[in-house]
Amino acid sequence: MSDNETLRIGVYVCHCGTNIAAVIDVEALTKFAEGLPHVALARNYKYMCSDPGQELVKQDIAEYGLNRIVVAACSPNLHEPTFRRAAEDAGLNRFLVQMANIREQVAWVTEDGELALEKAKAHVAGAVRRVARHEALQRQFVRITPRAMVVGGGIAGIQAALTLAEAGKEVVLVEREPSIGGHMAMFDKTFPTLDCAACILTPKMTSVKVNPNIKLLTYSEIESVEGSVGNFKVKVRRKPRYINEDLCVGCMQCIDGCVFTQAKFPNSFDQGLGMRKPVWVPFPQAVPPVPVVDPEVCLQIARGKCKQGCVEACGERGAFDFDQQEKIEEYEVGAIIIATGFKAFDPSVIPYYGYGKYPNVYTSLEVERLLNAGGPTGGKLILRDGSTPKKVGIIHCVGSRDVNYHEYCSRVCCMYSLKIAHLVREKTGAEVYNCYIDIRAPGKGFEEFYNRVQNEGVQFVRGKVADITPVANGSGPLVMKVDDTLLGHIREIEVDMVILAVALEPHADAGEVRRNFGISCSNEGFFLEKHPKLAPVNTANDGVLVAGACQGAKDIPDTVAQADAAAAKALAMIDAGEIELEPNTAWIDEEMCSGCKTCINLCPFQAITADEERKIAVIDQALCKGCGTCVAACPSGAAKQHLFGDRQIDEELEGLMNYV
Amino acid sequence: MAPPNGDKGTALLEKLSRIDSGKPPFGCMQCGLCAATCPLGPAMEYPPRKLILQTIAGNLDKVLTSPSLWMCVACYACSKRCPRGIELTEELWPALRDAAMQEGHQPPAELQETFQNVFKYGNVLGKSPRQRLQWAKDLDVRVLDLSKDPKPVDVLWLVGCYPSYYPRNQGVARSFARIMTELGVSWGILGTKEKAVGECDRMFGEEGLFETLVEQNRQLFDEQDFGKIVVLDPHAFRALQSFYPRFGAWYPVQHYTQFLEEYIEQLKPLMVKPVEAVVTYHDNCCVGRRCECYDPPRELLKLIPGVKLVEMSRNRDDSLCCGGGGGGMWLDAHIVANGGRRLSDERVQQAADTGADTLAVSCPYELSRFEDAAKVTGLEGKLKVRDIIELMAESMDLGERSIA
Ligand SMILES: Cc1cc2nc3c(=O)[nH]c(=O)nc-3n(C[C@H](O)[C@H](O)[C@H](O)COP(=O)(O)OP(=O)(O)OC[C@H]3O[C@@H](n4cnc5c(N)ncnc54)[C@H](O)[C@@H]3O)c2cc1C
Ligand code: SF4
Ligand code: SF4
Repeated sequence: MSDNETLRIGVYVCHCGTNIAAVIDVEALTKFAEGLPHVALARNYKYMCSDPGQELVKQDIAEYGLNRIVVAACSPNLHEPTFRRAAEDAGLNRFLVQMANIREQVAWVTEDGELALEKAKAHVAGAVRRVARHEALQRQFVRITPRAMVVGGGIAGIQAALTLAEAGKEVVLVEREPSIGGHMAMFDKTFPTLDCAACILTPKMTSVKVNPNIKLLTYSEIESVEGSVGNFKVKVRRKPRYINEDLCVGCMQCIDGCVFTQAKFPNSFDQGLGMRKPVWVPFPQAVPPVPVVDPEVCLQIARGKCKQGCVEACGERGAFDFDQQEKIEEYEVGAIIIATGFKAFDPSVIPYYGYGKYPNVYTSLEVERLLNAGGPTGGKLILRDGSTPKKVGIIHCVGSRDVNYHEYCSRVCCMYSLKIAHLVREKTGAEVYNCYIDIRAPGKGFEEFYNRVQNEGVQFVRGKVADITPVANGSGPLVMKVDDTLLGHIREIEVDMVILAVALEPHADAGEVRRNFGISCSNEGFFLEKHPKLAPVNTANDGVLVAGACQGAKDIPDTVAQADAAAAKALAMIDAGEIELEPNTAWIDEEMCSGCKTCINLCPFQAITADEERKIAVIDQALCKGCGTCVAACPSGAAKQHLFGDRQIDEELEGLMNYV
Repeated sequence: MAPPNGDKGTALLEKLSRIDSGKPPFGCMQCGLCAATCPLGPAMEYPPRKLILQTIAGNLDKVLTSPSLWMCVACYACSKRCPRGIELTEELWPALRDAAMQEGHQPPAELQETFQNVFKYGNVLGKSPRQRLQWAKDLDVRVLDLSKDPKPVDVLWLVGCYPSYYPRNQGVARSFARIMTELGVSWGILGTKEKAVGECDRMFGEEGLFETLVEQNRQLFDEQDFGKIVVLDPHAFRALQSFYPRFGAWYPVQHYTQFLEEYIEQLKPLMVKPVEAVVTYHDNCCVGRRCECYDPPRELLKLIPGVKLVEMSRNRDDSLCCGGGGGGMWLDAHIVANGGRRLSDERVQQAADTGADTLAVSCPYELSRFEDAAKVTGLEGKLKVRDIIELMAESMDLGERSIA
């Protein structure tokens, strides 16, 4: 806007109840504002954000012809949209409003009232001088691609994908293992209700398979992510299965046909306790029901020579394709839900538990597989020598609540340890000792379950086990040494089997996923939500949402709730059809641009391209995040930024520094 | 609300909230990992967990008068494992012992005698400072006594009390002097002026005495021009590394295993004589568990031709203490009288279980502790106890030429 327009600025000082007014003399501040250049009117009011407060601004615009507004109140993060809207309602361009943050930056952090007043004056003067230089801007919107991507096909990803698909939205579900299902597919029963895990999970997995809105990409990983909210371009790397998914009917006859008569390669889904062949499926209800061939051990692929019993068994279906290559596919999506889950802590780093050294020390996840009817022992809880344990020790908090490993509580281990204790007693009648520090049972029905397991005769020992040693050399029984803090003395408890309730930790590649999607991790490495209370599924990158154990250790009920929340957020975004862009984007003054391309490589969001014909740089307004890098770097001063022009900044600084 | 123990309780809790390493004990979650980890825990009336509980609850009188207050041998096992990162060994125990002594509760007699020896003579054995150089008599390499002849050197070697006076350890000192000379190191010692570093005094709560020693040693060190301090005693290493700097006395320091490891390439061709032995190495607590320096001693042993290195089931992080640390050297009688056991006896058995014929150590206390233990457990003649320095010197053919 031109310099000769008559400026009429209105300044509004908010008391924010006593938040501001108890520290800053709002009357004096108002008086001061009245004396600033171009200020037509200054007022103070108890709650500017309230309806009457906003009404005040609207009336004054109409009555006094105000054409700039300054509100001295709280952080613009909170109420800038409120006052922009009020101005717009009164017919003023919404970007002719500026806030002075005299609450967070002054009242809350300054004890001395006089100093606070001086500081507030500086803020108000800065805002007044700045807003005088504001220009009317147009709001900008981008269309949202009406499709979502879900990364990770555990219960979180499955739930989110189904909710979106059932609402009629297209979903691309990317899972890196051969089947969806995640950890839940490994369990026999789930606490606290002891539902059979497969009975409640497999119907959902089947729904994923048959829902026409879901494009399921298993055995696939994220290669790269470009673009931003509303319009992401995601490249997915599809690993070769060596079996054509479209032709395979899931009969599994190839597995029988394989020239290896014995399954002799460790099955990772069974935690290595069971064996598989080179052509395999992780578990019978796998989705998709399509085997994969392990290229490391398949004779045909590794050595180029095999009788190919599998191909013969497949017969005329002809699904085998040993020439399959890795493929990169690109998908355009408007929103992304990350649901990559967790990894179980590897206890072999704790020397005193002897995991990996004593064969009868197991992790909880291994025991889940032993207890599962579809697992390597057909659901029998047996030791490696085939015998049934008569005494079992369960050690809580292994790798959790420990500054040497993970300081946080993993939230589910107490409950799954109770579940395992129950199942061990049910299946073997063994004596069970749960050694715990505190039992954490805060969920619905959890305390009742704890009580039930106590009444089933499980022994509870309050203390963290300090040592596990074999009674004699070799693979026999073990002694757990523990300070029974309630009895008040140190006990040595002999058991046949020790189960370590291992922590839930972030995946080793969480850092890579974080970088790919432009989000952050908290200290412990789980993905960081935008706000721990008020934005628990959003992330710092708009359009990227998180759900399930990848955001922090949690159980299935919480995972499912969070997955639905993330799906609802994605739905809301997609249904809105378009999204407003931040106004503070950068733009190129075409007259001034020399076409040097300095800015192009510097832009962290790849928002700038070169127009080779006109020899100028062009900024994509939808991709620009307003970081200002190009503005600072441009040697010709051609890159400029809305709301952050040189004169706007200069004037604000002038006001702040020379306010008197 | 005033704490049950009035001012002394307040002062102690205040002190514990300002500790220099690890987290303060108020964060203890009473998991008992420390108590069950402690090799003497079952014998203690107040193992670490209860010590904390009673202290915070204000029952100071109970813990300060208990014999268990003098049973910790500073093995660091509890501190290392505590899931809340509480530094029990170096902070809690010394603070409580200091408080006990201020209340007039004396430590076991044998230990008091040691404190007095240090106070009067500057060494734990109560020997005359004039005899400090006895170990170097007729030595076939030149020993530079910096207290008489101050010259710039790279290494100020603190010989230590046991290697200076105790016959079994004097040979180790002589061998080390020869090895350093053979390597062409410029080194010197403080001669009769050398004093105990005082680690056991600090760990045993003799804070006043410790401060005096820091002051005296600081003056001695500051008179000299040296690159770094090298010690044979792991406890002295820990004290110089961690406690001295708290008084502003900062000196670069290395344990001899760390120092020699830097000369590995130079040492290799010097190992000329095979030493046929099956060796197992005992990790000491200060340089080992506390500072996680596990590899240098093993690398040195691997240099020696003929040596076959085997590991005990409890090694490195999980090593079992010899029971001699932090004053434990003078507590065997007290510990056994109160239901504890001599850890060295158990440790030599673990060494023998590996099939080794030699137990290698890198701490002056351990030589005599383990040799005694071997006698008691009937392993004498079956299990030799030797310092790494002795094994190296043998392989380098740096025997007692002048004496023999
Ligand atoms: C031993 C044990 C027992 C338990 N028992 C119970 C119980 O009884 N009841 C209960 O409520 N909770 C239980 N839990 C907790 C439960 O496992 C979790 O709440 C649940 O699995 C979380 O689901 P999720 O989908 O977030 O993660 P996950 O189940 O871990 O699924 C994540 C999925 O994402 C995939 N993935 C990971 N990284 C990528 C990537 N980069 N790209 C593509 N895909 C990726 C994984 O392959 C996996 O399929 C137990 C946990 C353990 C360890
Ligand atoms: S190990 Fe640590 S947290 Fe546990 S009882 Fe001991 S001092 Fe307390
Ligand atoms: S340092 Fe060792 S001896 Fe002392 S309390 Fe801890 S574990 Fe026990």
